[in-house]
Amino acid sequence: MNAAHHLPVLAIVLPLVFAYLMPLFDRWRRGWCTPAALGVLAVSFVASLAMAWQVMTGGPYYYQMGNWPPPWGIELNIDYLAVFTAITMTGVSLVVLVYASKDLLHELKPHLLGWYYTLYLLLVASMVGMALTNDIFNLFVFVEICAIAACGIISIKSNKECLEASFKYLILSTLGSGCLLLAIALLYMVTGHLNFTYIAQALPEAMRLYPYNILAALALLLVGMGVKAALFPLHVWLPDAHSSAPSPSSAVLSGLVIKIYAVSLLRVLYQVFPADIFEVTPVLNILLWMSTLAIIAGSMFAIVQEDIKKMLAYSSVAQIGYVFMGFAIVDFFALTGGILHVFNHAMMKAMLFMAAGAFIYSTGVRHLSGLKGIGHTMPVPAVAFAIGALAMVGIPLTNGFISKWYLVLGALHDGQPFFAAVILLSSLLNGIYYLPIIVNAFFSEPQGRVAAPLPLPRQMQVPLIILGLGCLLFGIAPSLILGLIYRASEALLGL
Amino acid sequence: METAISFLPVWIVMFPMFMTLVIYYVEQRSEKMRNALSVGTSVVTFLSVLMLYPYMMAGEIIEYSMFQLLPNLEISFRVDILSFSLALLSSFIWMLVSIYSIDYMCHEHGCNRYYPVLIITLASCMGIFMAGDLFTLFVFFELMSLISYVLVVHEESLEALRAGYKYLIMTIIGGLALFFGIIITFELGGSVSLGGETLITVPSTLAFFAFISFLIGFGMKAGMFPLHVWLPDAHPVAPSPASALLSGIMLKTGAYGLLRVIFHVFSPGLLQEAGWMIILAVVAIITILLGSAVAITQDDIKRRLAYSSVGQMGYILLGMSIFTERALIGDIFHIFSHAFMKSTLFLAAGAIILKTGKRSIRELGGIGRLMPFTMLAFTMAALSMIGIPPLSGFLSKWTLSLGAMDAGLPYYVLVLLVSSLLNGLYYLPIIITAFFGAEPGHEHEQVKISEAPYKMLIPIAILAVSCLLFGLLPTNLPFDLSRKAADFLLRGGF
Repeated sequence: MNAAHHLPVLAIVLPLVFAYLMPLFDRWRRGWCTPAALGVLAVSFVASLAMAWQVMTGGPYYYQMGNWPPPWGIELNIDYLAVFTAITMTGVSLVVLVYASKDLLHELKPHLLGWYYTLYLLLVASMVGMALTNDIFNLFVFVEICAIAACGIISIKSNKECLEASFKYLILSTLGSGCLLLAIALLYMVTGHLNFTYIAQALPEAMRLYPYNILAALALLLVGMGVKAALFPLHVWLPDAHSSAPSPSSAVLSGLVIKIYAVSLLRVLYQVFPADIFEVTPVLNILLWMSTLAIIAGSMFAIVQEDIKKMLAYSSVAQIGYVFMGFAIVDFFALTGGILHVFNHAMMKAMLFMAAGAFIYSTGVRHLSGLKGIGHTMPVPAVAFAIGALAMVGIPLTNGFISKWYLVLGALHDGQPFFAAVILLSSLLNGIYYLPIIVNAFFSEPQGRVAAPLPLPRQMQVPLIILGLGCLLFGIAPSLILGLIYRASEALLGL
Repeated sequence: METAISFLPVWIVMFPMFMTLVIYYVEQRSEKMRNALSVGTSVVTFLSVLMLYPYMMAGEIIEYSMFQLLPNLEISFRVDILSFSLALLSSFIWMLVSIYSIDYMCHEHGCNRYYPVLIITLASCMGIFMAGDLFTLFVFFELMSLISYVLVVHEESLEALRAGYKYLIMTIIGGLALFFGIIITFELGGSVSLGGETLITVPSTLAFFAFISFLIGFGMKAGMFPLHVWLPDAHPVAPSPASALLSGIMLKTGAYGLLRVIFHVFSPGLLQEAGWMIILAVVAIITILLGSAVAITQDDIKRRLAYSSVGQMGYILLGMSIFTERALIGDIFHIFSHAFMKSTLFLAAGAIILKTGKRSIRELGGIGRLMPFTMLAFTMAALSMIGIPPLSGFLSKWTLSLGAMDAGLPYYVLVLLVSSLLNGLYYLPIIITAFFGAEPGHEHEQVKISEAPYKMLIPIAILAVSCLLFGLLPTNLPFDLSRKAADFLLRGGF
């Protein structure tokens, strides 16, 4: 068996192992921490790309951990959706880590840096694990790792706000985990399996025998994942947590962590539960209306925010609504749009949070009205912010346009133009809160601290440039990633 | 057709776009080079468009597909006689305006921002007119609308920023409406190409939504009631050459888009059968009367001109809703004549404001004696607006009226007449005050006011003389192009 066959486990285990080596490095050779963490993520990213290549050329395959065959052993499912998610998670987190390596020195006490990397690598490992796993209990384990690590990277900045926000997050997230565990227990009770494939096989039979158990499991799953993915009205923890965390943490939390739960829910709903359960219960309809509320309410809340990071956080509430809306309209185009938006929004939101972080790093200003004229003194983050904002509004030739195109097309195709109108209305609302920031940044005279910002280190500029170009690249040539997503949504819909 | 020619549309769009970067690079070093390059770029663009002339007259259609973004969604170019007419008009006026800008803008701040924006707006305008499908049109439309924001807020005054905010929000609303219209077209027709057959053939609820969306999207740009609210604020606050372009050319992109929607996405037959055109006709009539009436109450000369634009765009929208050949000829010809008239007026007003610093009409007494050439040009264009016979405005109104008569709609003619009367009511006082009014202020102030520099006068003079010539000569290039374009559209537009 050659090494290429073990890529899936490499992508998960390598960051997991190095996460625990980080404190050691920190003690022994502090300078090695950053390169080691970057190297590990780069390897994970390359492994994900290589898996994508394998899957695109040879089709999806399963990987058995330790050669233990299912239903006893843990199985990894390397399919289109899995590699797509793995690429998104590792790619964006790699870029964010480059930025973090400088920004954190500013935000954290120096001795915490090694520990931050530990948490960060754990977070990435757990997200890749959630993307790849084909075992529902294994999923739960990764969900827990992810929740703890996410909580850690919020509370690591030990001021009162962060502690309060992370405590809120911890409580709600634990509630979500509890729901999830209960759902898993119920499913295990009626099917006797933990492997997705086996549960899916056993469920139609079990549906007849224990319908209420399965409905309860479905409800618990929805609530559990919904809390963690900050689906409105379960989003209450998100704005505080994402705005008070250090900027790189906000970037990964908003860009990636909430999405991975959405993707996991998508996988469970479409691949584990039999399609006819959706005829019995209006689960997808509930999801659709929740996402509609999320889109509108998230944008509305964002309009009234004064703090730049809080505004971005509320914007995430709205954007996760787009993703769920794509999942809930059962249509090929909408699903494609939803999955694509996971990727596009990850890039946009990470970039926006990092740009906001750069403003805070150099000027200390968080207040939106204080950022007047910043485009003159800090052109790189301001232009990145402008690109991200335009992508959020969905101006053509940015990646946001492409996901919106597919979502609206899906809604129309499914005969639900109302939801198409919702997406358009929300784009207008996005315009209302994003565009004045850009206007103020470029068409006002800088004053006070904005007039003389600290120079921005190159490590913080390059990630912004990469993601900014990425937003444009995937707006002009979306087919780079669409091939993968088309197949993923085909597989999910069983076309 | 040889490949070089089919590449020409791409060149016309990409060349100014590329030159924007060059200008941006050069302007850090030399202001003279920047100005020369800006004028040079617009001249070359105009000449490139002119090179298409023999092919267009031969009735050829040039198509070029650049690249595919998504399946059935591509960036492509297609030049037919209508595209060519408007591209020629726009690049010509752009050329004159960029020459005019050199002397006008040398007193202004932020020229290093103004010139690159001017040129990239030219590129996107060319892109709109030469777009081969709705998506390309949409991309360039958004690009133009968003970038011209920079022209609107050029002064960075509180007033300009407020007008700019209104403009920006309306642009976003218009853009989203267009997006909705285009995606419904895509869903119903399976493609958004303007080169194939009619995209929507069955009147359905969704098709009606698409029609309304297009009406909102393009109508917003064209200053259609009730979406005109941004226009009287945004156009006057921009620097005068930019106002000339905003009012003279960029409003026309909305009209152009609607023409394409009426004749390519839908078809006149379908729209008449479904009775949707009545919506356009009604809002057009309101636009005409409202624009003209409100213009009377304005004291700021540029605001008065901006409201006049609202009224005049109403003519164009009204002309579109009548599907007779003469109405369509008059409609397209009015796009030409309004572009010439309104840019003359704005450029002349700009010269006056530059020299006197006054924008209020009441204070412009006797200006005609101090700046005779500028005011003469202004007078000519204003008379043309009212529709006095030998001028181009008369010809377009005449043809429009004939078209309305052909369609058996005499009350449209009445609307045109009433509006002409209103035009007279707000243009003539300016002229009378300028030539016969008392000169306000002290003696030493008047000495400073002299005629505008020749680099500003020449563009104004060329435009004003064009207003006269296009009315005086029965066969002239714009009228010929309008006739051909109208014929082309009514034949099906393919």
